[in-house]
Formats: sequence, C-alpha cells, structure tokens
Amino acid sequence: MKILLSKVFIADETSPYHQSVQDIFIENGIIKNISSNINEDADEIISGEDLIVTQGWVDIFSHFNEPGFEYKETIETGSQSAAAGGFTNVFLLPNTNPTISTKAQIEFIKNKNNNNIVNVLPIGAVTKNIEGKDLAEMYDMHNSGAIAFSDGLLPVQTSGLLLKALQYIKTFNGIIIQMPIDKSIATHGLMNEGITSTQIGLAGIPAIAEEIIIKRDIDLLNYTNSKLHITGVSTAKSIELITEAKKQGLQITCSVTPYHLFFCDEDLKDYDTNLKVNPPLRTKQDMLALREAVIDGKVDCIASHHFPQDIDNKVCEFDAAKNGMIGLQTSFNVVNEVLPKLTAQKVSNIFSLNARKIFSLNNASININTKADITVFTKNGESVLTKENNKSKSFNSPFFNQTLKGKIVAVLNNNTFKKL
Amino acid sequence: MKLSTKHLLGIKNLSKEDIELILSTAANFKDVLQRPVKKVPSLRDVTIVNLFYENSTRTRISFELAEKRLSADTVNFAVSGSSAAKGETLLDTVNNILSMKVDMVVMRHSASGAPHFLAKHIPVPIVNAGDGINEHPTQALLDAFSMKEKFGELKGLKVAIIGDILHSRVAMSNMYLLKKMGAEILIAGPPTLIPKYIEETFNVKVEYNLKKALQWCDVANVLRIQLERQNQPLFSSLREYNIAYGINKKLLENLGKEITIMHPGPINRGVELDSDVADGPFSIILNQVENGVAVRMAVLYLLANREN
Repeated sequence: MKILLSKVFIADETSPYHQSVQDIFIENGIIKNISSNINEDADEIISGEDLIVTQGWVDIFSHFNEPGFEYKETIETGSQSAAAGGFTNVFLLPNTNPTISTKAQIEFIKNKNNNNIVNVLPIGAVTKNIEGKDLAEMYDMHNSGAIAFSDGLLPVQTSGLLLKALQYIKTFNGIIIQMPIDKSIATHGLMNEGITSTQIGLAGIPAIAEEIIIKRDIDLLNYTNSKLHITGVSTAKSIELITEAKKQGLQITCSVTPYHLFFCDEDLKDYDTNLKVNPPLRTKQDMLALREAVIDGKVDCIASHHFPQDIDNKVCEFDAAKNGMIGLQTSFNVVNEVLPKLTAQKVSNIFSLNARKIFSLNNASININTKADITVFTKNGESVLTKENNKSKSFNSPFFNQTLKGKIVAVLNNNTFKKL
Repeated sequence: MKLSTKHLLGIKNLSKEDIELILSTAANFKDVLQRPVKKVPSLRDVTIVNLFYENSTRTRISFELAEKRLSADTVNFAVSGSSAAKGETLLDTVNNILSMKVDMVVMRHSASGAPHFLAKHIPVPIVNAGDGINEHPTQALLDAFSMKEKFGELKGLKVAIIGDILHSRVAMSNMYLLKKMGAEILIAGPPTLIPKYIEETFNVKVEYNLKKALQWCDVANVLRIQLERQNQPLFSSLREYNIAYGINKKLLENLGKEITIMHPGPINRGVELDSDVADGPFSIILNQVENGVAVRMAVLYLLANREN
C-alpha cells in the first residue's frame, strides 16, 4: 500500500526534517521518501490544512481489562479506542484477573497483539498477584517483553518492599511506575479533601496522601539510584517535589492525566460518578498548576489513565461507583482544549518522544527508510465523542457530546493504516 | 407560597424563604396535632414509600406518622428482608416500586448523594431522610423549629454543635440552615472528629475545649458518636470521650449561665450526654421529637402541593 502525506509539518526532534513542512511517501509501512514535493501515485493521499506529523503516540497507563473483565474492555476494543485517539503504543495495567505477574501472562498479552496498528505493551506486576507482599518474577517478565513494572491501581505501600523492587530491577535497567496513593491516609476517601468535599459530605482524600508517598518514593530512589515514574500526579506540591528530585539528578519522571488538567474538585458538586477517579480531582489551583507544569516541561508525559467501567459501576450511588474514566480517544483533544497554545513540538514530546525515551521504546524517527510509526493530527478543527463513534466497550466519560479542539487525522504503524 | 424546589435533598439547596415557609407551615400542623382529631385530608390519594437503607427509629416513625396524619397511603421498606439485601441496585428497586404508582419517595441511605442520584433518574419528588455524612434536612428543620419555639428567633442565636461532626449529616444540615437564618455557630469536639476544612467551608468557629464551647453558647446541639461509621481509630475509648467531651449536670451547673441542650437521638447515655442532663430541665430533646412530626408534615404537604 502506498500512502502520501501531503504538506505535513514534521514535529520530531530526532528527525533531520524536524520543524519543516514536507511531503512524506510511505510504501508497505516504510518511509520511502521525504521531500518538499513528491509526485508519486498513492492509494491514499492525506492532505489538509495545518497537519502535523509526529512519531506514533504512546500511552503509558491504560487498562484494557483482559483477561478477567472483558465486559468492560478487551485488548481489541481498547486498541481501537487507542488508534482513534492517535496512539500506536499502549502500556497495559496488570490489574487483570489473573494479574499480569508472570511470564505466561506477559506472553498472553503479547500474543494477543496480532500485528495490529496498536502495539499493546504489558506492564508486569511488581508483587506476586499484586498482593503487595512478595516480589513477582520481574526478570523473567522483562525478558518476555514487560515494558515496565507497577502494581497499577494498587500501588506498593510497604517501603521495604518498594526499596527491594527498585534495587531488583536494576539488573535489567528496568523502571517502576507508581500511582502515588498512601492508602492508610486515603482509606475510605471518595474525592479530594477540601471545601467541596466538606460541602457535599463526601469523605476526603487529602493531598498529603499523595505527597507523602512521593516524598517516600523519592527517598527510596535516592537510596537505590534506580528508575521511577510517577503517574497521575494531581497536586501542585507533588510537581514541586518531583521537579526538585530531578534537579538533584534522580532518575524520576512523571505524567499527568488529561482529566486532571480539565476538571477540579468543584466539578463534583452534582456527584457525577464519571468524575470519580483516583488520584482524585484536586483543587482549581492544583489544576492550574498542573497545566503550567505541562507547558514548563515539568511533566514528562500525558497518561490517559483509560479505566473503563461498565454502566452498573457508574450509574449508581457515588460511594458504590468505581474509579476511572475512559480517555484514550479524547486524550489529545482534552489537552489541546485546555492548552491550545501548546506547540507541535511540545505535543510531540509529551505524547510520544518523552515516553519512548523514558521507557526505552524503539525510536521511530521520521526519516527515509525507517518503519513508519506515525500520528497525523491537527490542533485546529474539532472533535466530538459520541455514543456512535466511541470505540471503547465502556461509556464512562464526561466528554460525550462535548466539542473539543483538535482532530486526529490518521495513524500508521506495523504497515497498517487508519484514516480517521 | 410554594417551595422553590421539587425535592428536599438538603438544606443547601433551600432559600431562606423556603425555610421560613416550612417552619410556618409546621407551626400550623403543630396546632393540628394538639386537637382531638389529629388527621387532615391534605394528602389523600397520595402514595408515599419510605425507603430506609439504614436503621432508623425516630425518623422512620416520625415520617410515617406525618404521612398518616396527612391521610397519605404509605409503604415501608427496610433493607433487610428486601431484594436490596439480595443485591438489587438502588435504581432497580426504586423503579420497581415506582411502577406500582407511588407518588413520593422518602429515603435514608448510607451513601452521600444517593437521593441526588435518584433525583436525576426518577420523576417523583424525593425527601432526603439522611444520606451518608452529607445532610439530614428534616432534622435541621425540626431543630430550627424547636429553637425558634424556645427563643423566638434564630437570628443572633449562639448555637454550639458538639461531638462527632465528621460523620454527622445532622451537623451539616444544621450549619447550612443556621447560617442562612443568621445564627452564630461554634463547632466543638475532638480534632479527629472535625473536618479539616470546616472553618473555611461554613465560616464557623471551632473549639476543642468543651467547657469553653458551653460557656459561649445559648444552645448546645449535642451529637451522637457514630460508632457504626468509624472505620479507623478516631479516639481512644468511649470512657475517655466521656471524660473530655461528655456533658453532665455538674458541668452545666458550673457554667454560671443557663443553656439549652438538644440531641438528635439516639443518645449514647454516659458517652456524649449523661442521663442527668438528657432527662434534666435544660433538655428539649423530647420537644424536638414531637416537633419532628409537624415539620415532616409540612415538608410532605408543601412538596405534594407543589406538584399539583
């Protein structure tokens, strides 16, 4: 198949064509030519105004629920959702049933990945069956293709255990991903502790439940000199702590979700269960600080935290509702909506290049004779998520029927092309 | 005059005029309740279901009596022995009941926001009879009615709310109501039982010393320690709680002033209130219970009236 991308702006720091408008000719999944004017017959021509092309986007924290919870999402539906949102690489949480905590389960996920447009990359559990007690066989999982290690939705609580895990992964230069929650402080909390939680009578999760874990993890990182990524950072103070640790030379990186940039705790006044997430939506000041941190480059990646929930877990009392929202398909639009001035270069970094670097993913530099793993999008135009175009199996999103800025135009990976 | 709201979900959503309307209507119903024939035909042919997902004695009986005295048809539902105990969802249960032509729902539920959730999904008026740690609006209304009865007006009245504020929907509704009506509020109790952001949220004073709180106030609304809602250690023992925050006769006598004692019930005797106070001359606890029926009649009457 021959594809011609016409007059696209290349945003890829690793490419010699970075920051230039070019035609790109792709044949059978390989970039054959990049030049200011290409006259080739193509099966598909992608053209339009203000098109930007970057290396395919990477999401580092999504839950596809397979095996075990296929009624919420499957690897197939999750992948479709990812592709529709411009992603070609997605890291999958290990909180399945059974959990992804041995080589066999890593291979199960890898085998499900039938040369689809989206590479699904399993995150292996840090502890056996995500019980938070003993170390899982991380070395074996790494050799089988685990991209990183995390206990996902149930972050490691015991300091001693995380210390050993951080040391252990140095054998293979691994990295641990932590969602920062101290469960002994958060206990039965349902939302951010603050004025809104007091007004509407929901038990609070104080910001300190997050910050204390980040402080501890930084200390453990300092001691072990290992690698750590904190995802779902939700408070201004957390960003400060991580930025400070980076300055001291620690190998720490972080990501925020699109929804923490879009919503704050005040939006929960009507008990909207779609906004029940963990870490919780924080104050307006936190939300604004997170936006600022994305612009300043203090945030390394956007992580969708795509957590599908079926209707019975969301159309119910707030207490009974489960955490999370789907987000892959709207990730870029939400970020672009709240940060319209984000440059193409920044988008390229936070949606793709930084994650590729942090997690040692293959570099898909946009260059002649390289494999095409690309996302084509525009910051202009509009997108609306509807019940009809939603690719996820679940519908737990607050963004349905909302017009958001920006549009994904096409994704191409593994010689598979999808025009959107 | 009509209420500005279709449901009574909380005091938070009521206007000052709504509150005044409910209290004045309740005064009329209180007169009715003193008559030999206590029943009026106001809600004839109106069917009300009392859905109690949590235990209740006072509130459930009070609502049922209010409904009966308004000539409504009532159905009672308690979670044990119902399909909810078999795992039926709240929405399914309510929709099933409504399909049998019920006109109004009174609900108590352990989840904050449960009546707000229902209000989004069902067409009939809902009266919140207590949701989690959020609100208990009819309790605050009957407390206000009782204070008004005793003091004439609420404006400028100094009310101390004492005890387990963290788990108390009664405290929440009282704070919303008293603020709207211009009373002064002081919150007192152990720091572990007081929400961290309460001062900013409600613009109230906070006091950890019981005696100082009592000396300040005209009325002490003493709350029950909600042992059933505590899932982590918040104080060391009931004995110690009584030593630090229990109110007894001797303490009241040494204040150098007379204050009124209220309690929403059920009382943990010997914990937050000693019997010599609960049954003593300063207590208006049983007046509160009596007024509860009149206040609930007013709420039901006004909501039904708004529909017609």
